[in-house]
Amino acid sequence: MIFITGPLYSGKRTFANALPGTRIAEVQNLAKDADDLEKLADKLAAYDIVIATEVGGGVVPVDAGERAAREAAGRLACLLASRAQCVVQMFCGIPTILKGELPPC
Amino acid sequence: MLTLVLGGAASGKSEYAESLVLKTALPRYYLATMQVWDAECAARVEKHRQMRAKKQFETVECPLHLDAVRLPARGTALLEDLGNLTANELYDPAGAGEAAASAILDGLSQLAAQCEHLIVVSNEVFSGGAGYAGDTDRYLKALAQVNNGLAARADAVVRVVCGIPVSYKGAKS
Repeated sequence: MIFITGPLYSGKRTFANALPGTRIAEVQNLAKDADDLEKLADKLAAYDIVIATEVGGGVVPVDAGERAAREAAGRLACLLASRAQCVVQMFCGIPTILKGELPPC
Repeated sequence: MLTLVLGGAASGKSEYAESLVLKTALPRYYLATMQVWDAECAARVEKHRQMRAKKQFETVECPLHLDAVRLPARGTALLEDLGNLTANELYDPAGAGEAAASAILDGLSQLAAQCEHLIVVSNEVFSGGAGYAGDTDRYLKALAQVNNGLAARADAVVRVVCGIPVSYKGAKS
């Protein structure tokens, strides 16, 4: 599985379009309702490409629910990265490989 | 050796910083900065305490006045985190107020002089825009001053992204 993360509108899906296989995006939104993040990560890891938007880079939210959602999203991203063969962080459309390597294309 | 470890919320920065400490010799100090005022804070403190269980850390509470900390012996200190410390110094009536950033940087220098290794955890909170209520901007500026000031004098700067350490300065460890 290739895990692609990065801020909003950083080019994650555009980058993923060049890669083959099954994919799922915006998985950070699934974290807050998950009873078990490990199981969710296992399930998501069955996709070839998993894409999550980084949401933990702002000031701690005032709302407790938002705080918990942000925490869960961050934790899920760590679990996905540990399961991934390759982790890519996008920034202004530019990919940086943080782990492993991309399959040859 | 001074190492700055930064990351966003739940990025894995604490676990990474602790893994660095565990490579060093005893004694190990954990400098805790969080002021506990509700159940959520208490739960966070408990979560981090459990992570440190059996790792032979001696906890030193320092929510304010880093310059007053005197470690009993030279060793490794893990300070967590600058986001809390900056809020405390800025907003607590007993804190440094407007001088928060310089007070913290002074305190960190004094602390570094007492340790073989000082590992400092800080927070990336600068990617959520600037449209916050109240005077959050004052906090952002103060924390940025601390982060950037410490990064300039650190031997190593590591940003943790979804549990993966990314080196920005110094040798990879």
